[in-house]
Amino acid sequence: MMYKSLTYKGLASVILLFVCSLAFSQPSADLGKTLFKTNCATCHSKNMKTASTGPALGGVEERWSDYPQSDLYAWIRNSQALIATGHPRATAVWNEYKSVMNAFPGLTDDDIASLLLYIDGMYAGTYGASAAAAVGAVATEVQDKGIPNWIYWALFGGLVLFSLLLSRIIGNLNVLNAEKEGTAYRKKTLFETLTSKGVVSFILFGLVVLGAYTAASNSISLGRQQGYAPEQPIKFSHATHAGVNKIECQYCHDGARRSKHAVIPATNTCINCHAAIKYGSEHGNAELTKIYASTGYLPKGSGEYIEDYENMSLEEKKEIYTGWMLENAIENDEKFEKVTDDLLEQIDAEWDAVVASMTNEQKTEVQGPIEWIRVHNLPDHVYFNHAQHVTVGGLECQTCHGKVEEMEVVAQHSPLSMGWCINCHRQTEVKFEDNEYYKSYQKYHDELAKGDRESVTVEDIGGLECQKCHY
Amino acid sequence: MENNQNGIWIGQKDLNHDPEFIKAAQQEDQTSLLTTMGDEQLATEADGSRRDFLKYLGFGLGAATVAASCEIPVKRAIPYVVKPEEIVPGVATYYASSYVKGGEFSSILVKTREGRPIKIEGNSLCQVSKGGTTARVQASVLDLYDVNRLKGPQVAEGEGFTNSNWADVDKAMGTALRSNATIRIVSNTILSPSFKKLISEFTAKYPNAKLVQYDPVSASALLDANQESFGKRVVPNYQFDKADYVVSFNADFLGTWISPQEYAAGYVSKRKINSAKGATMSRHVQVESHMSMTGSNADHRILVKPSEQSSAVAFLYNEVTGGKVGVSGLTEKAKKALRKTARQLSSNRGHSIVISGNNNIGEQLLVNAINHHLGNYGATISFDHASMQRQGSDSDMATLVQEMSAGRVDVLIVNDANPVYDYHDGAAFAAGMAKVGTKIGLSYRHNETSSLCSILAPIHHGLESWGDAEPKKGHFSLVQPTIHPLFDTRQAEENFMMWSGADMTKSDQPYYDYLKANWTTNVASGAGFASADSFWDGILHDGVYASGGTGEGAGSFNMNLSAATKALIKPSSSDLEISFYEPLSIGNGVHANNPWLQEMSDPVNRTTWGNYLAVPVSFNGVNQFIGFEGLEDGSLVKLTLGDKTIQVPVIQQFGQMPGTVALALGYGRSVGGFATKGIGANVNDCLTKSGGSPQYFSSNVSLGKTGRKEDSFSCVQYHHTMGVTDQNKAGETINADEATLAPGYGNIFSGFQGALVERSIIRKSNLNHLTESVDDLVHEREHHDGLNQQTLYPYDKYVEEKYAEGHHWGLHVDLSSCIGCSACTIACMAENNVPVVGKDKVSRHQEMAWLRIDRYYYGDVENPNTVYQPMMCQHCDNAPCENVCPVNATNHSSEGLNQMIYNRCIGTRYCANNCPYKVRRFNWNDYTTADIFPANQVKVNGEDVPYGADNLTRMVLNPDVTVRTRGVMEKCSFCVQRIQEGKLTAKVEGRRLTDSDVKTACQTACPTGAITFGDTNNKRSEVYKKMISPLTYEVLEEVNVRPSVQYSMKVINKDENFEA
Repeated sequence: MMYKSLTYKGLASVILLFVCSLAFSQPSADLGKTLFKTNCATCHSKNMKTASTGPALGGVEERWSDYPQSDLYAWIRNSQALIATGHPRATAVWNEYKSVMNAFPGLTDDDIASLLLYIDGMYAGTYGASAAAAVGAVATEVQDKGIPNWIYWALFGGLVLFSLLLSRIIGNLNVLNAEKEGTAYRKKTLFETLTSKGVVSFILFGLVVLGAYTAASNSISLGRQQGYAPEQPIKFSHATHAGVNKIECQYCHDGARRSKHAVIPATNTCINCHAAIKYGSEHGNAELTKIYASTGYLPKGSGEYIEDYENMSLEEKKEIYTGWMLENAIENDEKFEKVTDDLLEQIDAEWDAVVASMTNEQKTEVQGPIEWIRVHNLPDHVYFNHAQHVTVGGLECQTCHGKVEEMEVVAQHSPLSMGWCINCHRQTEVKFEDNEYYKSYQKYHDELAKGDRESVTVEDIGGLECQKCHY
Repeated sequence: MENNQNGIWIGQKDLNHDPEFIKAAQQEDQTSLLTTMGDEQLATEADGSRRDFLKYLGFGLGAATVAASCEIPVKRAIPYVVKPEEIVPGVATYYASSYVKGGEFSSILVKTREGRPIKIEGNSLCQVSKGGTTARVQASVLDLYDVNRLKGPQVAEGEGFTNSNWADVDKAMGTALRSNATIRIVSNTILSPSFKKLISEFTAKYPNAKLVQYDPVSASALLDANQESFGKRVVPNYQFDKADYVVSFNADFLGTWISPQEYAAGYVSKRKINSAKGATMSRHVQVESHMSMTGSNADHRILVKPSEQSSAVAFLYNEVTGGKVGVSGLTEKAKKALRKTARQLSSNRGHSIVISGNNNIGEQLLVNAINHHLGNYGATISFDHASMQRQGSDSDMATLVQEMSAGRVDVLIVNDANPVYDYHDGAAFAAGMAKVGTKIGLSYRHNETSSLCSILAPIHHGLESWGDAEPKKGHFSLVQPTIHPLFDTRQAEENFMMWSGADMTKSDQPYYDYLKANWTTNVASGAGFASADSFWDGILHDGVYASGGTGEGAGSFNMNLSAATKALIKPSSSDLEISFYEPLSIGNGVHANNPWLQEMSDPVNRTTWGNYLAVPVSFNGVNQFIGFEGLEDGSLVKLTLGDKTIQVPVIQQFGQMPGTVALALGYGRSVGGFATKGIGANVNDCLTKSGGSPQYFSSNVSLGKTGRKEDSFSCVQYHHTMGVTDQNKAGETINADEATLAPGYGNIFSGFQGALVERSIIRKSNLNHLTESVDDLVHEREHHDGLNQQTLYPYDKYVEEKYAEGHHWGLHVDLSSCIGCSACTIACMAENNVPVVGKDKVSRHQEMAWLRIDRYYYGDVENPNTVYQPMMCQHCDNAPCENVCPVNATNHSSEGLNQMIYNRCIGTRYCANNCPYKVRRFNWNDYTTADIFPANQVKVNGEDVPYGADNLTRMVLNPDVTVRTRGVMEKCSFCVQRIQEGKLTAKVEGRRLTDSDVKTACQTACPTGAITFGDTNNKRSEVYKKMISPLTYEVLEEVNVRPSVQYSMKVINKDENFEA
């Protein structure tokens, strides 16, 4: 009997070992994707074929194939340092592009391997095409780095074989033992073995573990909404405002430099410009009328706020605004030269849309604040301060929010997960020398001066501690 | 007489080494302690059944599944339409204003976030309140969001009131205010010069109108005495910062008397010790029967019965001036002490102050004569900048009651006052009101008086109003609104403008225009400003304006000695006397509907939610301390006062004069909001009357036992005590009272908490052997340090590695400066969203305050001295709580903060068990309604919507601090939100962090500057300088937890031969 239990234990340990081996970190294109998004996507284009702020990355390994791989890794970690050594390839790239690339001292070899895998996958179009292709890419690409995947499979096979062997030996021992004691020993059939208490409970145990693992890993993403891009009450286009017209982000989001909130601008900030720009390039009257109607501003002539606006009936408001919309359309749009039924109908429809999008169950009046849908949400127990990151840290808005200037509808670019925050705090260097405040970290200054230390990251000054964000 | 010079104790239970108490006190879960508190029923109810647990578990899983399958709710972000220039969402805006409630005054800065006032700070520019606050000032912001506020005008109809509107109110008043009508305005002291001007205009229009002022606790005799002595009916300007010798007859001048915040700052400035060498201190003698907060800070307390106060004053008068006023009563001990006081006063001529809080004109005149004889007028007491903070007149009120009873009053305007409750003859006032035609209550919420009015005109909160105050002559302070009125209310001043016939249509804020005009023409006259507008802008910014002194002298002193002597009270021969005192928290009921103040423990007897009868404790000569007539804490007694009988619970009070008991005023409100319902007993109608003035004591009292105990005994003195036992050499747990009572055990300043041996909690000394004490302390700290270094991980080494860079936060408390006023505890609640739990939960040791003020007694057991020790998380660098947390929810930051991470905490409570200081608080219930189970929500005092769930109340929450859910631990965070804010400010400005960038809420609230916070790595910081002082020590230094909070030794100036 005692030998039987050994069989199960042996089997269990083999399978556990296998599961563990899968959990080991190893280069993967998926990790590369994450790293690319956080670190590279601001400057390098995602298709790897066109140059953006930085050059196209596709085929980078080929271009560096004349040099040892460590050179490329050093280049990615800190390009300026490599240029300074006079490396021929580095100097050539520098002369071609002349733009400084950020240093990423925190990237490990595995990270870089993952990044390169991802770059290659995107370049060749294999990434995301099929899982098998990705696995294949893994198998071929990582041969000379770390332990390749087939070893695990071989080990797994070997161990299964070994445990079968063991169970065979145990079976034989049991037979011998039975003979010695003079009792009959009957080998179990396969069916008996499979339905035995041990196997069934092992399978159940496995299912519970799997279920718990799935539940845990899925619940981690509860409340996360990367890529969330709700339709807003006004079709405000960041692509038009920040992209085409190059309006500085902080002109409207004026809290970012001085407050925890970046602040959604007050409607009167819109009126600052739209007192002059009265007809939208995309939507004509349809969207702009919403901001006018919400404030009671009538941009007729030199513009005025309508008196006693809040006490007017919806009909009166409609009359004022549709009248103006009609004139405005004829004045600004080549399509319309005179009042036609079509135009009247269109304006009526536009006004109805204004009313529909500016009111809801709680807000029954057209005037009043615009109820935007909040895209970036943090849980209540997280304290985040924009001023710290924008004014003190000098971060670009795009680092976290992505290329908002290309977005027609704003979408959440980053996962806004704690892991994402922590990752950045580990990698980001503090602007240590320029700010008198950091003088209290004398030791770091000494080490920097002596050259014992290359940089001070946010982590080094306590940026990973709980009560930096949770209190 | 047992004179225990060595021990320090916290109360009768540990002095008596009650074994059950000691056993229970060793456990963090205190439900078992309920049985020792005589409440077995509660203790058994505290257990839930296993079935309940499974039910909730199942439901919890189900709910989680449902919640998980739901979509993320759509959240909206709603910007301003037109953003006010001064508001940046997420950044606090501060406005200078004033806190005025009757005669109470403090100049304040109001912190607003997104237009909501959420916190009050002191205004350091003010020369009267001097930058600190009091508990009442801190709590006043909660009143703004009081759910019991009147939300619009009402008129009486039948038994109750129906909603009305302002047009109807004005119409009714227009009819009632005929030009020949007899109109009386009854009010508490009015500090506002502009309001006074308005009233004078009103009385000019209605010649038969008159303003009658009274104070909830009368100081009429003091004013009348100054009228007689100097021809000025004011409270003189007492300058405690110049007094080396203070004698107070029953005046709680640090807690409640006239201008406590100002007096405390001045008093403590004379009692701070910076170095042991050449230290000087004032001496303070308090003559009283009940231990008041002021008395607890005194060097000497002379015990006299309440009815002997007159004799004590007369005795001192005779001794100082050589007068011959007849004296009877007084114990020999008291006489000796008074004689000594007189001798010491005489050697402090011109730099002493004698005051009396008794409302007896004879005593007040004699006190004036003593001060006059000692040459204190013009030196420590002056009439330059005299105080206006009490203006009430007992005789005016008596006349008013007579007029009303005779039916001679047509219109009564009650201006934010409650005479039916807090006037000593409230019943007569109520009866008189029945004969008045029109009674209009300018009231904030329903109270005993407003319920008898015919019209209710609700008023703004101070934070919604314009206004001003002149607390002392020549010191002006502005009140400015910090939020748009929340409800359909109107400030009192606007009513008077309306009824005086002023044109109210010219402006949206007519009183603002009136106020500005008055300031720019009258107040600023001769102030030498460029223009009226620049003056006004400056005032709006600073909040205060002080004109030069008037140079007014005392003038000649007059006294009719025989009349004064006649007014004195003859000692009573009664066996039992009772004194009534104004509690620090709720005043005479004025602040009773404020849950923060109701839950604030009284500094002396440490009770909350109700008035407890203080009874004396006596030593039985062997080994036991027995309460008066064998009464125990929480015993219910029948107290018969004249023809009124009330039932009150008992609290044993050391230092209470034998043969006397004491009870607080202000409780037992019949109408007053949810927090007053069923809380305590009213004794305002039991005061003794002498010469028409209420005397705050009674000799007509008897006490009967009921044999029962109070259901929820809400005294916090025995909660969260720091280890009451020790082990003897044989390893047995012993109660070390045996040791503390044995003569010669321990040395003079090592700390004992009753049963504790050799644990350094309190260190104390007396001025005359301060240098020896300091030497001993230094020696003992070296000894501890030597032992603490015997470790594998020497502290100095890891400090160098871990905490030498950047900041290391530290806090220092000066025990000599701490007077126990509790402003810090309320400030902490306001700043950190600390919940209120209610009387029942307090009795179960579940109060949530992060900062408590421990009270210790030492010295003579029948008349001890007191130490107050503010106790909060000590942020130990070697923290015992951190390494027992199974989920690492509490850990240490590189800046020395002991971080508590709520979202990680799973509620094992191991940390609280392992905390030597007992400063961690567990959320036993869902106080702030963060979860979805209504059963977990706590009603504080029978309110309709649970206190923490009401959206109006929740407007006071600080948005920068997480609201905690049920089942997590919390504790003092060193106001980490302020630390982060301060660091950010310094970073944005690109400069080093300075002391002024980061101040904790307790520090800014303190009126005496007892608390200092800062970066101990910065050698130039104030806190570093204090921490290297030889008077500084760590609590429980011997357990080597390396706290970041340090205390300086309590020093008093006691004359050891005082009663000889």
